[in-house]
Amino acid sequence: MAVITAPLMIFLLGIGVSTYLLVKSRDSPGEEGTVGILNASMGFSAVGIMGSGWTWSIHNSMLVGSSSMCATEGLVQCGSVIGDPQWNNLFGIPWGLIGIGSFAIIWFLILSIRMDLHAKWSSNYVNLLYFVSLAGVPFVLWLVLVELTMVDGAPHICPYCTVIHIALLGMVASAFYLRQRKESGSWS
Amino acid sequence: MSRRRAKASPRGKEEDVRTMAGLVTAGIISLVVVISVILAPIPQVGPEEGNQAPDFVADSYNGASWSEYRLSDNFDWDWNGSSDSKWLLIYFMDTDCPYCWVAGDEMSQLHSQWSDRVNFVTIAAELGIPDHDSTRGEIEAFRDKTSYFGCNSDRDDCIDRPGTPNNWPYIDDGSMSIMSLWGLSGTPVSFILEPDGTVAWNKNKHQGQGGDGEELSEALQRLVGEQ
Repeated sequence: MAVITAPLMIFLLGIGVSTYLLVKSRDSPGEEGTVGILNASMGFSAVGIMGSGWTWSIHNSMLVGSSSMCATEGLVQCGSVIGDPQWNNLFGIPWGLIGIGSFAIIWFLILSIRMDLHAKWSSNYVNLLYFVSLAGVPFVLWLVLVELTMVDGAPHICPYCTVIHIALLGMVASAFYLRQRKESGSWS
Repeated sequence: MSRRRAKASPRGKEEDVRTMAGLVTAGIISLVVVISVILAPIPQVGPEEGNQAPDFVADSYNGASWSEYRLSDNFDWDWNGSSDSKWLLIYFMDTDCPYCWVAGDEMSQLHSQWSDRVNFVTIAAELGIPDHDSTRGEIEAFRDKTSYFGCNSDRDDCIDRPGTPNNWPYIDDGSMSIMSLWGLSGTPVSFILEPDGTVAWNKNKHQGQGGDGEELSEALQRLVGEQ
């Protein structure tokens, strides 16, 4: 099976568009820039949710055989990563499901802020968004270490997992800029 | 006298938008979960009959050395019920468990009878009870029937184990992680798996209270012998 599939292309496109929005809006003044960064955050978060759902499906299909949703051979593949019973879960919960839950929290925070930029609680939500996103970074580092050194036949690179990791890092950057805007008074 | 008026900062909306944001988020997540499950339904995984056997990766002793063993590597995912693929007998034991010591003879006999159609796998656990300390040396000696004092709750030399030397893989589960994954607390327990990894027979279901009393040998005859 080819490594570059249609879903992977869609996720990469989402990452690309979100990154463009973030870079473009980062230095834009006032509310326009803030809304731009929030839109970029929603893009990263959406890719995170959909990518996690996709990896969860791969996980489920690999429990009863090989999956047609991702390559299972070679360096860049999912089979040896998502299909590895030793590393594909956290206390029995598939990583994909954990990803859906985590990005759901992030999505809720962004959407709330986006729907009411000037709410009294928006500062708290921006801080929360930053710290929730930041909390995911050690897990990303751990999972990258696992796929490069610990899974059967390592190193392997799981493309969908990598997309989700990039989405989270994009989310951290977006939350950082949002927090910076709040603190510097350039929110609106 | 002129008074300077401070510029009013923008105020939030009258209604609390968080409820709506929560509902939208819940809707999106539900949609993603439903699509994911449609793409690949959640399989029933567990030791109950009819479920997919829980997969594991652990170190295995083959009589010469220890190497990584993954249960699902032995499954034939395309099994359609009629191929010549081999079934699996998963046998959980503890080198210090007296019942497992006695069962050594039965396991040897079953292997000599069924090894051409069934792959045997022994999982050596270390139950958390006194005198059940095990080592890899003890597991090797138990399997190979070589001299190592410490088997059967430290009462016997492993070379005296009933039965013949076992020439099938022994998995080290000293950490009890596979036992835990399979929801087990005691030994000996055996399972018969279909070639595709579906649990076909679970000893705990047939023996003890409410069970039909079917023995492992009878189950092998019924499931594998009559196929």
